[in-house]
Order: sequence, then structure tokens, then C-alpha cells
Amino acid sequence: MRKYELIRETFCRRGFIWIVHVVWLVLYGGFWWLFLPNGPEFGRFVFIWSGFFLPLALTAGIFGDDIASGRICVLVTKPLWAGELYICRVLGVTLQATAHFILTGCIVLILHLIMRKGSMEYLGTWLFASWLLFITVAALSTSLSVVVGRTFNSLLILVVVVTVYFILGLLMSSMRQKADTGVLTAFIRYAWPPFELLSKFAGGEYGKYSLIVGRFSVSKSVACVVHSLFLTVVYSLIGIILLGKRQFSRQRD
Amino acid sequence: MAMNNNDNKQAAVVECKQLTKIYKKLLAGKSKAVCALQDISLSVGRGQIVGLIGPNGAGKSTLLNLIAGLIFPNEGSVAVCGHPARSIEAHKGLGYMPEHPVFLGRYTARDVLRYHGALSGMSRQTISSQTDKLTEKLQMDEYLDRRCMDFSQGMKQRLALSIAMINDPKVLLLDEPSNGLDPIGIIQLRNFLKELRAAGTTIVISSHRLGELEQLTSDYMFMYRGQVVSFADELACAHAGRLRIELVSNGKAIAEKLLPPSKVLSVSDTELQIAVGDPEEVPDIVIDLAKGGARIMGVLLERENIEDVFVRLCHEGT
Repeated sequence: MRKYELIRETFCRRGFIWIVHVVWLVLYGGFWWLFLPNGPEFGRFVFIWSGFFLPLALTAGIFGDDIASGRICVLVTKPLWAGELYICRVLGVTLQATAHFILTGCIVLILHLIMRKGSMEYLGTWLFASWLLFITVAALSTSLSVVVGRTFNSLLILVVVVTVYFILGLLMSSMRQKADTGVLTAFIRYAWPPFELLSKFAGGEYGKYSLIVGRFSVSKSVACVVHSLFLTVVYSLIGIILLGKRQFSRQRD
Repeated sequence: MAMNNNDNKQAAVVECKQLTKIYKKLLAGKSKAVCALQDISLSVGRGQIVGLIGPNGAGKSTLLNLIAGLIFPNEGSVAVCGHPARSIEAHKGLGYMPEHPVFLGRYTARDVLRYHGALSGMSRQTISSQTDKLTEKLQMDEYLDRRCMDFSQGMKQRLALSIAMINDPKVLLLDEPSNGLDPIGIIQLRNFLKELRAAGTTIVISSHRLGELEQLTSDYMFMYRGQVVSFADELACAHAGRLRIELVSNGKAIAEKLLPPSKVLSVSDTELQIAVGDPEEVPDIVIDLAKGGARIMGVLLERENIEDVFVRLCHEGT
């Protein structure tokens, strides 16, 4: 009952939640219609557009709104563990994403059957990678929303990710001959949301290195999935600890 | 009194020991720190109502927030039902009503009550029966199925009180509960709180409506700049008063003849003002004056209520 109510809340939290899902689905259709893509290309679009931007839209202010309005003050005086509150909110968003990606797959399949264009070959892997990226970014954004103000959690991630990749690009191009950028790329690859690992996994780029099933390396694909889930857990733990240690007060009377 | 004392025979349900709370912004210097509470101790027994009073910035909400476990003290400790304030065990017996309640606008009042009941670990059946009970007590049946976004301040207050009461808490923390309530709502609230007290619920209430507090409890904690100010003497004095007697004439002569100078506060030919230690003295004073030849036109006993004392103390800055 408690978990059900906490998860249900994430669906009704803000009026725009459903609008976000509809807009995203309409954009898939638009992308498909305009670019008549092949499977992997469409999958790459879903990976970035929904794996990264959708969690930012859905988790914007997920705790920050409640903290700013003072609503959290009543929630945390209920006899429940801070982790339960956090996990149920991330679970609620993840459930939305799961339904979203299943629906996306169905829509793309229907479009493919009607229009007879594009390829469905790797769509499943791209959708799975998108889902993994979604939950990782959602956990990071949710954790940030415990400490930064209303709606700034998503904006902060967006700005930082764009800035970091821009600076990294500049560094990589200027330092290629001068110094080793291994430490920096390793940090971006393993501690950062796993854009590179998951896109290589979904694109089948690891197949050439080890035991393969079709185009996919079994060991590296499993490692990518485990690493992505591990990052989600780490980001979530940070958020749970922050929520448990945080003080909530609006007034000083 | 329940506060700062040793005469509280009952087991303390809320126990605050030497609480100090300093608000300091991150990276700000010590000079910008605000000491919201300083060495406050409070012990409240079962079935007691304690009123926190004081001007804005006195530390009332800070104290409530500390008891609710929303913030942590810099020094001291808070226990609710024998458990640390932020623990799940403490929250099992706690109901908290904030000064400015906020709800999910898309939820109806019934949804909100079901949500908070579920968070308190209640079953669907218990929530339903508790919702019916609270709806009847707080007269919310008209808007139980309306969305919260359409609620007036008074409706929000009633719903917030229902949320605090949903799990039948042992300790109820109320921050300005009568804000936005109409006179009938205030009377209902007062009666409801009296019922709760009779049922053994401990209530800590912060309110600016001192007249309301006065009708609920005689246990007050006057706070000023983060400290408890004892004003028991002031209140005792306030229960005495000033007797104003209107006369036809000869006030000065009558005062000299019949009254001890220490009791006369002011005197003119047509009015006497006399200090009264106990209201029961008034009939005797009037009879003595009449027997002494005073032609009395009117008698008025002026007494300070808690609000007058509060305003005077704030004004004096003591």
C-alpha cells in the first residue's frame, strides 16, 4: 500500500508528466517520418533523446519541488525510511520509462510494417541501452534534486554534461600528441553516466573483441549492463544518504 | 507547568534537553550565524497541551521542527516517546501540521488522506474508517472529493490537521493551526483539541492567537530570541487587575479617608483607580466605599489576558 502510493505519486506529481511522454512519442514519429532512418540510426536517436533527455524532464524537481514548497516536511515525519521514499520515486520514474520504451518499440514496429522502410535489426538493443541510460541519469538527477533547488537538478546535469564533453573534445584534439588523456577518458567512461559504453554495447561495437552472439560480445555486453546498473546503485546511495542527512526547514520562527 | 521543571510526575512523551540550534549558511562567516535556540529544555507529559508563544523569530517553529526531526540540534537532544526525534519509532507516534501546508494539487482530499495513511503504514480499511471519522469531526465532507488545488486556506488547514491525525498519534505538533480558519472552524478546532487531550494525546502548539491558547491550556512557554522567558509572575499579576470606579464627586477625599495609599493607582474627583490583588476583593472594596459615603456611578475591573501580557513583554523587550 505504501509503496504503491509512493510510486503512484510519481505519475501524478506534475501535470506536464504525461505531456512530456506524448511530446517524446510525437517526436519519434516526426524523426521517423522526416529522416526515414535505418534501425540503428533511429536507435541512436532514441538512446540520446530518451535515454538522456527524458529522465531530465521527468525528474526535474522530483525532490526539489517538495523541499522548496515545504511538502517534504510532512512526508519525512511519517514512519518511513528515507531510502524508501527515494527508491519508490526512482522506481516510479523507471516504470514510466519502461512503459515508454515498450510503447516506442511498438510504434516503430507499426511504422516499419506500414511504411516498409528502415531496419528493425538492433532496435531492441538500443531500447534496452536507452532504458539503462535512463535509469542511471534518473538516479543521478534524483540525487541532485535532494541538494539543489527546484528544477535545477536537470538543468545542472544538462549544462555539466554538455560542458564536460565540449571541454573533453577540445582537450582530446589539442593533447593528442602531447600527453596521455587516459585518466580523463577513464573517469568520463566509468564514473560518468555510461554514454560511451552503452552506445558501443548497443551498436554492437564490442563484437570484434571477444566471444560473440551475432554482433554482440557476451562478456563486454554483460559488463556494460552491470557497470550501468552499478552506477545507478551508487548514484542512488548518494541520494539516499543525502536525503537521510538533510535538514528540512522553511521558517525560523 | 510542563516546561523546565521537575514537578512533571508523568512520563515525558516529548523530552528536549538543552537544545541549541544555530542556523549558518554554507561558507558564511560566524558573524552571519543566527542562534535560533539557546539551551532550551522542555518536558511534556501524556495528555498535556503546551503552547509556544513569542514574537516572530523567537524560535517557536525551530523548536517544533526539532521535535519533528526535520532539523538537527547543534547541541542537546530531543526524544519523542523515548526515541530520537528523527527515528522511525518516534515518527510512528507523531503527527505534524506545518504552518503552510502543501498538497499535490491534482489529488483530492480523500487521495491525500489515503496517501498519508499509507505512508503511516495503515491498511486500506483503517484509512477509510479514519478518513470518515476525521471528515465528520472537522466537517470536511463537502470537499472531500474536490481537488486540493481549489482549496481555500481554511480547507487546507483542516486537511493538514486531518493528515497529522490520520494515524491517531500520541504526540501532535501544530504550527499555527488556526491560520485561515473562520470563527466556527476555530471553535471546532478548539473542541477537537480538547477531546484529543482528554483522550491522552500530547499536543505542542505554536500560535499567535493567544486568546485561543488561553482557552486550551495554562501551560505556556514564552520564547524570545531563542530563549525561554519565564513569565509566570507576570501572568499571576495579570490575573489580578486594576479597578476603575467612577464617582459623582469627592474622589480625592474618599481615597484619602478609605483607601491605603499603596493601593491607589490614580485619583481624581470623579474617578479612582485601585490595584486589586485578587478579583474576589472587588465586592468588599465597593461595599466599603459605598458605606464610607462614596456615590458610585460605575465599576470596571480591568484585567490583562495572556495577549496583553505578551504584547507588553514584547514591547518591553524583556
